[in-house]
Amino acid sequence: MLAIEILIQGLIQGSIYALIALGLTLVYGLLRILHVAHASLFTLGGYLGVLITNATGSLFLALLLAMIIVGFVGMASYRILYYPILSRPPLIALIASIGIFIASEEVFRIIFGPFSISYISPPLQNQIDVFSGIMLSEARIMVVLLAFILLLGMNWLARQTRLGIATRASVVDPDMAMSSGVNVETIRYSIFFIGSAFAAAAGVMVSLLNNLVEPTMGAVPSYKALAIIVLGGLGSVRGALIASLMLGVIESFGTIYFGNLLDRDSLAFAFLILVLMIRPKGIFTKG
Amino acid sequence: MLDVNNITCRYGPVTALHDADFTLEGGEVLALVGTNGAGKSTLVMSIAGHIIPEHGNIVLDGEDITNIPPYQRASRGIGLVPEGRRLFPDLTVKENLITGGYVLPRTSESQRLEHVFEIFPRLYERANQLAGSLSGGEQQMLAFGRAIMLRPRVMLIDEISLGLMPSVIIECYAVLENLRSQNIAVILVDQNSDAALAFADKAIWLETGYVKWQGKAKHCPLLKESIVS
Repeated sequence: MLAIEILIQGLIQGSIYALIALGLTLVYGLLRILHVAHASLFTLGGYLGVLITNATGSLFLALLLAMIIVGFVGMASYRILYYPILSRPPLIALIASIGIFIASEEVFRIIFGPFSISYISPPLQNQIDVFSGIMLSEARIMVVLLAFILLLGMNWLARQTRLGIATRASVVDPDMAMSSGVNVETIRYSIFFIGSAFAAAAGVMVSLLNNLVEPTMGAVPSYKALAIIVLGGLGSVRGALIASLMLGVIESFGTIYFGNLLDRDSLAFAFLILVLMIRPKGIFTKG
Repeated sequence: MLDVNNITCRYGPVTALHDADFTLEGGEVLALVGTNGAGKSTLVMSIAGHIIPEHGNIVLDGEDITNIPPYQRASRGIGLVPEGRRLFPDLTVKENLITGGYVLPRTSESQRLEHVFEIFPRLYERANQLAGSLSGGEQQMLAFGRAIMLRPRVMLIDEISLGLMPSVIIECYAVLENLRSQNIAVILVDQNSDAALAFADKAIWLETGYVKWQGKAKHCPLLKESIVS
C-alpha cells in the first residue's frame, strides 16, 4: 500500500513537471533555444494565483487569469527577448535567457517582497479517501485532473486543428511550412502563449500544494525541466511528458529509499547522467 | 505573368547566381539545366522567397514580390516542390496536404483535398499513413499534391526525377502536362536535362552561376550535344 501511495505522489509531481516541460520542449522544437526564463513564468503564475485568489476568493478565476496574463507575458518575452537575436547562434539566446531568469527573481523580490506569500484561506485542503485508505487532498487531485485536461486539450489541438498541424510541420521544416503558406511567426507566438499559460498553471498548482510562493520558487523547476526535455529527446513532446512522469515517480521512490544518500533534487541529474550514458540522444529519440 | 528581372544572389562572399532574367506566361514551362552548383536551386529558392536577391526584382502579375516572405508568396500562388521533397515525415499524408493549403480559407479545404486525391488516387488510399512511410514515388506525388493544395499559378519543381523509378518519372511528367493544361506556369529542374528540355517551352542553361545560354528549349545546345554524343 505504501508503494501505491509513493507512486501516486510521484505521478502528481510528474504532472507538474509535465506542465512546465511542455512549453520548454515546444519552444526548443520551434526555435532550437533552451528557454531557461520559462521558469520565471512559472513563478509569475504562482504569484498571480495566490494574489488573485486572496483578492477575489476564487481559485478558478485566479487560475484562468494567471494562465491568460502569463500567456501574454510569454508572447512578449519572445518578441522582446528572442526575436531580435534569432539569427545569432543559439548560445546567445541561452545566455540572454539565463540573464532574464536571474533578473526576474530580483524583480519578484522588489515587487512582491523577499518573503514568501501564502493563501489567506488555503483552498481545496480537504482530505479525500481515494482508494482504500489512501488519503489525498483535493488540491492534489486537482493537480492531476488539471494536468490531464490541459495535456489532453493540447493533444487535441496538435492533432485535430489546422494550427496544431501547421505547428508540427513548422517544427520539422520551418522553411517548407512557410512555402506552404504557414506564417511561422504566428505559430511561434501561439506556442509561447500556450507553453507559458501551462507553466502558469503549474505555478498555481505548486503554490496550492506548498501554500506559499517565493521569488526563488522557479530555480529548481528551471533546471529540472531542462533535464526532462533532454531525457525525453529535445523537442519531443511525447518524450517530455513521459520523462516528466518517470522523473516524478523516480524522485518519489528515490526520496524514500535513497533519501539519506542523495538529495531529492539531485536525483533528476543522477538519472539524467545514467540515461545519457546508455542513450546519448535521450530515451525517446529514434536512432 | 512572372517576370524575373536581372536577379543576382549571394551566399556571403560567393555569388551563386548572376543576372538571371526571364519572363514566363501561364501554361509555359521553363527548364533550368546545368551541372551541380550551377545556380539552378538558387534561382528556384529565390523565387520561392528563401533567398533574397542582392540585385534585381521578381514581379508576379505586376506586383513586386522580391522582398515579401515565403508564406505571402504562397498565398499569391507560388507553389514549391523542393529538392529532396522535404515532406513533413511525422505528419500523415492528409496533414501534409492540409499544411500545403494552409494559406487558403478552410472552407475550400475539402474541395481542394478532393482535387488532389482525384489527381493522385494513391494518396487517397494512404491518407492516414505517415508521409515518412511512403515509397519514393508516392512521396514525390505528395510533394506535388502539397503544392497543388495552394492552387498554384506558378509551380517551382526542383529535381523532379531524382531517385525515382522510370515509371514514376513518366507519371510525374503526366502531372506536369496536367498543370500546363490548367494554365499554370512551371519552372522545372531535372538532373535528366534531356527529359526536361524535351518537355519545356523555354530553357536557361546555367554554369557556375552564369547564364550560359537562354532560349527555346528545343534549340538548347545542351540537347544537341547529347544527341550528337
